[in-house]
Amino acid sequence: MSAPAVALAKVQSKRRIVVVRLADSAQAVAALSGIFALLLIVFPVSFPRLVVNGWQHGQLMPVMMAFTLLLDGCLYFRVAHLLSAKPGPVAAACLGSLPLLVVAGLSVLLQRAVHHLLSFDLPNLQARVGEEILAHTYLGLVAAIFLPFLVIRLLQQFKGQGL
Amino acid sequence: MAGWTFKWLFWIALYVVPVIFVPWAMARSWNQHHDTDARFSPRELLKRGELGLLSLVLTSSVIWDLLQSQFTPHTRALGAILLAVGGIMAVNVWVETYCRQHSGTDWHPGRAWRDSRNMALLVFSMAAVAQILMDRLTKVVNP
Repeated sequence: MSAPAVALAKVQSKRRIVVVRLADSAQAVAALSGIFALLLIVFPVSFPRLVVNGWQHGQLMPVMMAFTLLLDGCLYFRVAHLLSAKPGPVAAACLGSLPLLVVAGLSVLLQRAVHHLLSFDLPNLQARVGEEILAHTYLGLVAAIFLPFLVIRLLQQFKGQGL
Repeated sequence: MAGWTFKWLFWIALYVVPVIFVPWAMARSWNQHHDTDARFSPRELLKRGELGLLSLVLTSSVIWDLLQSQFTPHTRALGAILLAVGGIMAVNVWVETYCRQHSGTDWHPGRAWRDSRNMALLVFSMAAVAQILMDRLTKVVNP
C-alpha cells in the first residue's frame, strides 16, 4: 500500500462517529404527521378503511415494521452523510432492533385495547374499533421513528461521545 | 370539506398566531415606540430555543384533551406519553441553550433555532393529528 493510501486509511479510521440530534428525526415525524393528517382530511373514509383492512388481514404490522426500519435507516445514514461521520455500531443495533420491538409491542397493546373495547356493549362498536386502530397506527409510526433516535441521543449524552 | 378546512385553519391560527405573529408585532411596535432601527424577525426573537418552551405548553393542552377523550385507556396513555416525550425533548432544547449560554459553554444560535423549530413542528403536527383523531372519535361516539 502506498504512503498516501495508508494516510487516507488512517484518516478514515479516525473519522468521528455520527452524533444524532433529535431535530433530525423530529423533522421526519413532522412530515409523516402532516401526510397522515392530510390523508385523514382528504380521504376521511377510504384511508381509515385501508388501514383497518390491513390490520384485519395481518398486513399492517409487517408493513409498519418495514417502513419504520427503512425510514430510520435512511435518516441515520443521511445524517452520517451530511456530517461526513461514520455510523456507530450501537446506534446501528438500536436502529435495527428498536423499530421492530416498538411496533410489535404496540401491536400487542392495540390487541388489548380492542379486547377491552369489545368487552363493553357499546353502540357503533365497529367504527370505534376502527378509530382505535387508526390512532394506534399513527402513534405506532411516531413511536417507531422517534424513540430509537431518542434512545441513541440519550446514550450519546450519557456516554458523552458518539455511538 | 370546506368546514374541515376552516376548522383546521382556525385551529392552526389559534396556536401559530400567538407564538409567531404576536411577539413579532409587539417587537415591531416597541421599535416604533422607541424610534429604533432594529428589526426583529420571528427567528431573531425565538433564536434561544423559546419555541421549545411554547411546544410544552401546547403539549399540555393536547394531553388534557386526550385524557378527556373517549379512547380506551391504552390509547390515551400511549398518546399522552408520546406527546409528553415530544414536549419534554422540545423544552430540553430551550433549557440546554439557556444553560450553554449562561455557563459560557459553546452555543450556536443557528442550531438552537433549527432544533427548537423542528421539535416545535413535531409537537404541533402530533397535536394536530391527535385533535383530528379525537374529532373523528367524537363523531363516531355521538353520531
